[in-house]
Amino acid sequence: MQQLLNGIFLGSIYALFAIGFTLVFGVLDRLNLAHSAVFSTSAFVGIELVARAGLSIWVTLPIIFVFGGVLGLVIERVAFRPLKGRHDAHFAGLISSIALGAMFLALLQAGFGPDTRRFPPDAFPQQRLEFAGAVVSVLQLVIVVVAFALMVGLTLMVSRSRLGRGMRAVAENPHAALVLGIDVDRITALTFALSSALGGVAGVLFALNVNSAQISMGSSIELKGLAVIIVGGLGSLPGAMLGGLLVGLAEVFAVTYVGSSWRDVIAFGLLFSILLLRPQGIFGARQVREI
Amino acid sequence: MSPPILSVENLVVAYGRVEAVRGVSFHADAGSLVTLVGANGAGKTSILNAIAGLVRPRSGHVRYAGKDVTRRAAHRLVSDGLVQVPEGRLILGTLTVEENLQLGGWQRRSTQAASIEEMYQRFPLLAERRALVAGALSGGEQQMLAIARALVALPTVLLMDEPSMGLAPKVVDEVFRVIAQIRASGTTVVLVEQNARRALRAADYGYVLETGQVAHEGPASELLTDPRVVEAYLGLE
Amino acid sequence: MSGFLDSYASTITFMALTGVFAYSFYAVLMAGQLSLAQAGLASAAAFTSSLVVPAEPLFGVIPRLVVGIAVGMTVGAALAFLLGLPVMRLRGVFLAIATLAFGEVVRILLINQSWTGGAEGLSFPKLVGIPQAWLALAVVAYWFWRLGGSRLGRALAAIREDELAAKAMGIDVTRHRMMSFVTSGAVAGLYGVLLAHFVRFADPNAFGFSTAVEGLVTAVVGGTALFIGPLLGSVFLTALPELQRAIGVEAGWIRPFVSGLMLLLVILFLPGGLAALIPHRPGRVGHPDALPDLPPLPAAGTPIASLRAIRKDYGGVHAVHDVDLDIAASEIVGLIGPNGAGKTTLINIVSGLVPPTSGEGTVVGIPVGSGVPAHRIALAGVSRTFQQIKLFDRLSALDNVLVGAHRVSRPTLLRRLILLPSARRDERLALAQAFAQLTRVGLADRARQAAGDLPYGDQRRLEIARALAAHPTLLILDEPAAGMNHVEAHRLSVLIRGLADDGVTILLIEHNVRMVLETCTRVVVLDFGEVIAAGDPATVARDPRVVEAYLGAEDDGAESA
Repeated sequence: MQQLLNGIFLGSIYALFAIGFTLVFGVLDRLNLAHSAVFSTSAFVGIELVARAGLSIWVTLPIIFVFGGVLGLVIERVAFRPLKGRHDAHFAGLISSIALGAMFLALLQAGFGPDTRRFPPDAFPQQRLEFAGAVVSVLQLVIVVVAFALMVGLTLMVSRSRLGRGMRAVAENPHAALVLGIDVDRITALTFALSSALGGVAGVLFALNVNSAQISMGSSIELKGLAVIIVGGLGSLPGAMLGGLLVGLAEVFAVTYVGSSWRDVIAFGLLFSILLLRPQGIFGARQVREI
Repeated sequence: MSPPILSVENLVVAYGRVEAVRGVSFHADAGSLVTLVGANGAGKTSILNAIAGLVRPRSGHVRYAGKDVTRRAAHRLVSDGLVQVPEGRLILGTLTVEENLQLGGWQRRSTQAASIEEMYQRFPLLAERRALVAGALSGGEQQMLAIARALVALPTVLLMDEPSMGLAPKVVDEVFRVIAQIRASGTTVVLVEQNARRALRAADYGYVLETGQVAHEGPASELLTDPRVVEAYLGLE
Repeated sequence: MSGFLDSYASTITFMALTGVFAYSFYAVLMAGQLSLAQAGLASAAAFTSSLVVPAEPLFGVIPRLVVGIAVGMTVGAALAFLLGLPVMRLRGVFLAIATLAFGEVVRILLINQSWTGGAEGLSFPKLVGIPQAWLALAVVAYWFWRLGGSRLGRALAAIREDELAAKAMGIDVTRHRMMSFVTSGAVAGLYGVLLAHFVRFADPNAFGFSTAVEGLVTAVVGGTALFIGPLLGSVFLTALPELQRAIGVEAGWIRPFVSGLMLLLVILFLPGGLAALIPHRPGRVGHPDALPDLPPLPAAGTPIASLRAIRKDYGGVHAVHDVDLDIAASEIVGLIGPNGAGKTTLINIVSGLVPPTSGEGTVVGIPVGSGVPAHRIALAGVSRTFQQIKLFDRLSALDNVLVGAHRVSRPTLLRRLILLPSARRDERLALAQAFAQLTRVGLADRARQAAGDLPYGDQRRLEIARALAAHPTLLILDEPAAGMNHVEAHRLSVLIRGLADDGVTILLIEHNVRMVLETCTRVVVLDFGEVIAAGDPATVARDPRVVEAYLGAEDDGAESA
């Protein structure tokens, strides 16, 4: 039971990170590999806000949400917009986002140094609760609640709101969206902003979960995030959520029963099998794209 | 005589690699139905795309309601009342009928709901299917949806690209009936069609296009009986 | 001098090694595939070599490093082959992620083995210094240099530019992609062994995601269109931090920042990489003489294609419905009809790109719908052009046509490697064939220009020249006159009729009915997927059913404005 809960906590963070990835891919057909840099950067900035500025975690999270959003706008403008219309746009987008992400991380190192950062010990409540024979900290509950709230909020927004309709229109056929009078450029920028906002919050939550942040935290989660979205189906929001939980649970169980060194294989093993057996993923409906 | 609501001057469009339009000029008076006919490859769709801001012309001008809108962004033109019903309908198949209509009103948030209700009354078929995913509709129903969607945007000038394409003759009748109604309500219509006879019967004025240029023009009724129109399609002397 | 070498020995060696690694990416990128498994492959090769490299030269003669390299490259190639089998059908992002995942799985597997020393790593004897590293780099660069001008190299470039068009030229895309995959694995294996035996140490974690990304960056910055690219990339990116150090910039974050910035600038503004900065040499201009020996084309009247009751359904739509079609040698058959009538679907069936739902027949002797892949049908003598022009934009006009000559030219890479004169001779023959076709369509003076830069009318003609280079029995032209004015269309018509006089059979889709009447010996009219008229052009054009199909019926309903 304890493991189940741990898996859910870890999985919900993976899901939150992955949902940002899949949002951009679903709407814009682009894989944004700077997403992990947003994750890391937001974690550090979040820690700064709590440790130095003494802000409570409840104020920090919304600030990070906005901060992530701004980073998303920058990424779109610098790494993707200039490539519009180029016939190698997909490949070039991968490379340019890798490049920009590397630059973000380098700046991060410049600002914060190479050491691990931690939250101050009294930053948030330490209580623990008993639940069905397992021990759960208030912190972990908060993480799950925030992650789920954001993901549910996003899903509702996409399916009910005008902006969500616009995004779905662009996702299905950007040309048709243009004909309808939708400002596709603005929708694109907003999508990136939203995606990175979520990625940023995921970063802070992750840092909270393990109470540390390092420059390299992004790369391992990036690979897991890719695994999650492929398993769940590229472009599918419920797929990212389910996939994240699956990977989180699988990892926790693998560590308990098989040994921690095999932990990462799980995600990739799943990834590989899905790519070979059902490339569109669990919920994916799109064709496997030819680039 | 008031100036035409839409006029195109010496339009040149190089669309991808094809020089599709080589200096075309035409105009439409407010409230009229003007048709551009010609064989495939004659450049008709490129002209509409250029007018609607979806393709940047290499040279030439588009004037709408007295202003030069040649370089205006597509979404601004829609909010100005220049709306297209595109070739192939471009219905968003994964969204419902209702959502498609709502998207038609993207630039008309305040009047959207009322317009959609009006569309449901005009097209009872769409009302019945409002919660259905648009991809499940038949070809004719999708064409109606595409037209209704454009009407929700409250167009002043409606650009229609091959509305009869791929539809059975009876459905084509329906479509042209709707077009007549739209025109009767005061909306200017620019109709591009491969089915020349149908289009010329519906129109006030016509332009016959051949390989990117206007070969003939005149009142539609005259062009209907003009043998040169047949020649433009089939190359007979 | 030796003092200089000593202090920079490490840097200079690294330049060569990163160059080798970058070539492993180049190997797949030249075919347009983004594979990121190289780090894992290098790792596997390095560790396997540790098991095999003897303490003394093998048989007293073969150097220990050579044994290691031989084993490492084999391991790399074999693993790449195994990886390639399942992922061959993936493209783009999916391929990248799958290969990346594979690399990670290898890393994790190796970390958990005791014989690799786990996370602690393994120590290796120092067998590699400047000479070995640069020799290896030179050999690899030589290989890719000779590859560039060979038939195989051109085929890979074609696949990179436009896979479908390459297929239509008779290139077996899957086999070629696998070849580039395996090559990449072998070179990655080489890198792994060399690196381990230079740094004297290796642990599986050193071959992770970031290593893969660095290799990719080097290849991209250097440029993937010219063989010298990876070399340029590695020299530049290895020298950069040294330069920074030399001018006193020490901070640890600046190096990755600058490297990221370089990559961003290159991909945004210089997509061809540093290699694109090298001015393109015009190359040998000599007009070759002897044409290759080509079999004669079938005599006029010989049946070339014969189709019966062909149907193609997409969902509920009958794209093609019960079509019979016969084509005899030297005919020019025109296929016309309104938009959406099924013309392109029909020729896709004839050229083997699309199988029919039902129906039977043969095309150049191959039964239709038998599952024969499109490239085999191309090799049997069917060539085509495409409606939207599918030229290999970044290749020169001449290179485009050379790819077209794939069918009638011989593989030359192996002979080129040992500089055998017969390779030169075969290349000359292919060149002659290509030039002949360019001359035939009137583009001989544009031979060296990049296809993407040519004016529209020339591009259409170039596509025809490329299709002709295969010496086809049946030439299919999909809207060759699209966008042309009367004068251009007339010239095209003259060209086409000349080809038929030479014995080429032609099947032509066109919307320009005037041009069809001028050019074709026979016309078939499709509407809603069915043949509504066929026969002599002038008669068909006056057929009232045809007129109605295009213009609409005389008495179409009573509805009017």
